[in-house]
Amino acid sequence: MAGTGKAHLRDTDDIILRVEDLVMEFPVGRTGLKVNAVSGISFDVRRGETLGLVGESGCGKSTTGKAIMQLPRPTSGSVLFEGNELTTLEGQAMREARTRMQMIFQDPISSLNPRRKVRDIVREPLVIWKRGLPTEQLDKVDALLEEVGIDPQRAAESQPHQFSGGQCQRISIARSLVLDPSLIICDEPVSALDVSVQAQVLNLLEDLKAKHGLTLIFVAHDLAVVKNISDRVAVMYLGKMCEVAPSDVLFEAPAHHYTAVLKDSIPVPDPEIAVGKVAIEGEPPSPVLPPNGCRFHPRCPAADERCSTEEPQLREIADNHFVACHHPIVGGEAPVAVRSATSPVS
Amino acid sequence: MRYALTRIARFVFVFVIVTFLVMLATRIGSKDPIRDLAGGQVSPEVMAKVEADYPYIEKCEGALAYLPCMGKQYAAWTFDMVRGEMGYSYAQEQTVGEMFKQRGPATFWVGFWAIIIGLLIAIPVGVYSAYKRDSLFDRFMSFGSFATLSTPQLVVAVFLLYAVASRFDFFPNLWNYVAPWSSPVDHFKNFFLPSLTLGIGLGAVWSRLLRADMIMTLQSDFINLARAKGVSPNRVLWVHALRSSVLSLITSVALQLSGLVSGAVVAEQFFGVGGVGGRLVIAVQQNDILIIQAITAVVVAVVVIVNVGVDLLYAVVDPRIRQARALG
Amino acid sequence: MSTQLQTSGRIESGTLIEVENLSTHFSTPRGVVRAVDGVSFTLERGKALGVVGESGSGKTVLSRTIMGLQPRRGTRLGGSVRFEGKEILGLQPKQMRGVWGKEMAMIFQDPMTSLNPLMKIGRQIEEPLRNHLGMTKDDATATAKRLLQDVRIPEAERRLQQYPHELSGGMRQRVMIAIAMACGPTILFADEPTTALDVTVQAQILDLINEQRRERNMSVVLVTHDLGVVAGHTDEIAVMYGGKLVEKAPTRRLFAAMKMPYTEALMQSIPKLEEPSHTRLATIPGRPPDLVNPPVGCRFSPRCPYASDKCREEEPPLIPTADDPSHSYACWYPVGSPEYLEARARLDAQKVKVA
Repeated sequence: MAGTGKAHLRDTDDIILRVEDLVMEFPVGRTGLKVNAVSGISFDVRRGETLGLVGESGCGKSTTGKAIMQLPRPTSGSVLFEGNELTTLEGQAMREARTRMQMIFQDPISSLNPRRKVRDIVREPLVIWKRGLPTEQLDKVDALLEEVGIDPQRAAESQPHQFSGGQCQRISIARSLVLDPSLIICDEPVSALDVSVQAQVLNLLEDLKAKHGLTLIFVAHDLAVVKNISDRVAVMYLGKMCEVAPSDVLFEAPAHHYTAVLKDSIPVPDPEIAVGKVAIEGEPPSPVLPPNGCRFHPRCPAADERCSTEEPQLREIADNHFVACHHPIVGGEAPVAVRSATSPVS
Repeated sequence: MRYALTRIARFVFVFVIVTFLVMLATRIGSKDPIRDLAGGQVSPEVMAKVEADYPYIEKCEGALAYLPCMGKQYAAWTFDMVRGEMGYSYAQEQTVGEMFKQRGPATFWVGFWAIIIGLLIAIPVGVYSAYKRDSLFDRFMSFGSFATLSTPQLVVAVFLLYAVASRFDFFPNLWNYVAPWSSPVDHFKNFFLPSLTLGIGLGAVWSRLLRADMIMTLQSDFINLARAKGVSPNRVLWVHALRSSVLSLITSVALQLSGLVSGAVVAEQFFGVGGVGGRLVIAVQQNDILIIQAITAVVVAVVVIVNVGVDLLYAVVDPRIRQARALG
Repeated sequence: MSTQLQTSGRIESGTLIEVENLSTHFSTPRGVVRAVDGVSFTLERGKALGVVGESGSGKTVLSRTIMGLQPRRGTRLGGSVRFEGKEILGLQPKQMRGVWGKEMAMIFQDPMTSLNPLMKIGRQIEEPLRNHLGMTKDDATATAKRLLQDVRIPEAERRLQQYPHELSGGMRQRVMIAIAMACGPTILFADEPTTALDVTVQAQILDLINEQRRERNMSVVLVTHDLGVVAGHTDEIAVMYGGKLVEKAPTRRLFAAMKMPYTEALMQSIPKLEEPSHTRLATIPGRPPDLVNPPVGCRFSPRCPYASDKCREEEPPLIPTADDPSHSYACWYPVGSPEYLEARARLDAQKVKVA
């Protein structure tokens, strides 16, 4: 894994976002070294699809989400969104394009201006873009607040800190929807929330997606959450793409050794499932000096000579299932401890 | 290396700006700079001598010519300074260099002891107030420091002079410079009250600062962990918490340095300390241009150099700053 | 109940901690917060107890109160905590010092902020060794190195000379465990020890804690919001809601036959990898209770789909189940009871009608 390649890109009319060879690098002080946050990844998203981006901290998933928004502009690569090449778009055209995609963040409370009333926060984009008459704006804001389950009356009188974390995330969602975007990038939107609230927000996102015809990019580290909400999932490791597949396929039969490791590391809420041996030791190496070849090879149970020199390319191993690995797992035969698949009691 | 270079560049920049502004300020109030330099009503011969000694000093006139004219004089003055010739005071019949040699040590010791007294007050009070937050001690100290802060140094000086100095024969009536190594006791007698005048105020400010930082630190997880390890409360307080809380204190010590100069003027005047501060007052009254310029130049240099020292001290206290600088 | 007074390490089994009717109340400008409100349980030596709850359930305050680390200002404690038969609740820090680090150790959630950023790793591990065991500097350094090796930190020697910011999150959590293990405590409180870590590292750390527990016959209290974390790493689970213990059972038993509708709802709201994508998640309506003015009756009643008038008026006691005395719950109409089944059938019928 940790490979490049574009075999998984689709060529249909309904592609809303197409990212090719995206590279994002940041300098390390003045040492001349650089953090290779994202090193040449490609993916596309269909209109109405939810793409999940998973991986551990430092894999570049959040950076990718922000790079799509051009915050900041990527070091190189192409981001084609609704027919516009965003990496070369300037000024007003860029601002217009940004209204078509919105982002929601992990910490909902700090992403809302603490000194303003919630209703004004949600309305602000409409005011900036002069969309509609004031009464129309307020009607729209109130309707959206109702939709996300926030009382508009209370929103008109209260500031963000008077709401709970889950409610603030709902408010962020309402704000992101107010300009009728087509794409929403969700950066760890539920990882700061309690499980009971997390379920509410995930369900809400599903409902809003259907109602507003949204396309979602869902960045998260929690595999179960990503599986639940996504149609297609892309697994990242150290700035590279490992595996891309439909959500159900990916977790049923992971082909990349890293995906298998991730899956096996999740604690399952069922004591009947024997806790296997730790799936992997150690931690990812520094993105400043990433390994050659496949970036996962120093930790991979199946790595050989070739993996340390030659970078694997994404290739299709089953219908719509792409993996960047020289020795993919076939037929669910994993080299690490496999857990029995008893379903949990609930 | 890069770090040192940026520091030096910044030092030169600050030094030039401040000293140039001071020169402008002294000249704006002067109708005849040569006469001021000579010390007021003097004979034409003296005036001629002064003019010969400082050929570059002239009165600048005309809106357009003013800055270039001053700039030229500033360049000449800087050149003299770099050569170590800080100027001559005709009014006091003394070179500026001699003046510093004679009066500098007194001011240094007043300032030095004031900082020590300030820290001796601030550290125990700050640490203990934070530890016993909202206790009677904390409230009393908080009241005390606000009272001190709102009392002008003048009043403190008057109080110490009449309530302490005049009642105890221990303190000399007539101030005398005694170096600490020639007689520690006499040094103490002469320097304690002026230093205390300055030190009390510093202690009040610093104890508030330290208290606020300590309260933040004491709530952090690593303090909880230290307690959970069974580390003694004293060690938690003085080893774990204090060191993490001194950064703003160090900054404030550096920032207060220039303030110390103005404080020194008050203290020196009241206790008759023959220091640089007292001399500065006379120089200002007489519009003794070169003295004012030289004293400011030295003060600016000291403040900036101490700030560099403080910056280095940050790196000693916090390894993360060390690392960030190494990456530079 | 054991009334042993010996020091740790010699006794193999028996009760280690008895908590009785423990309460921790804070005064705030809004009123008294009942963060922990009448919690009782016992913990055996060498066993791992999982304390599960959402934020604000009181789980963190509970563990800190038992350990005596809860700040004293504005806090009112009630009830009793007996450690090895001795009452330790409300002891002065001076009296607890011999217990902290030596008998009871704690690791915190955020390894980024829990180590002293200005002190070398080595010194932070040596501190309790020199403090409690009176080791010399050299002995302490040697022991610190061995502890780092125990928690599988590579290049232990070099790490001793490093500062926390030079280590990754997972490494720092290992250092925290090394510090906690330094004096061979009889009990370890781990407060969300893996929440800030990546899943692969989380698995390693949980495994490490388990391994240390078995090797040292140490008890562990694992505080977490994640039912997945406790499922594989505890012997018993205590579920907290609104400052109360609402269900407690051996781990397998709890997952097989949970009684509290809250536990059930919590379980159902977790997305599961076995389920196909886009499976509708069960949610718990509303929000956790306000602990200044907790609801009358059962604290979960305002959010419970099966609640009746009795639930909203009378508080259910924590009682053992008929068939298993080690499993207790606080609910008038537990999962599986006739009233529960009836309410559930009614709700299902409503759902069908709405659909």
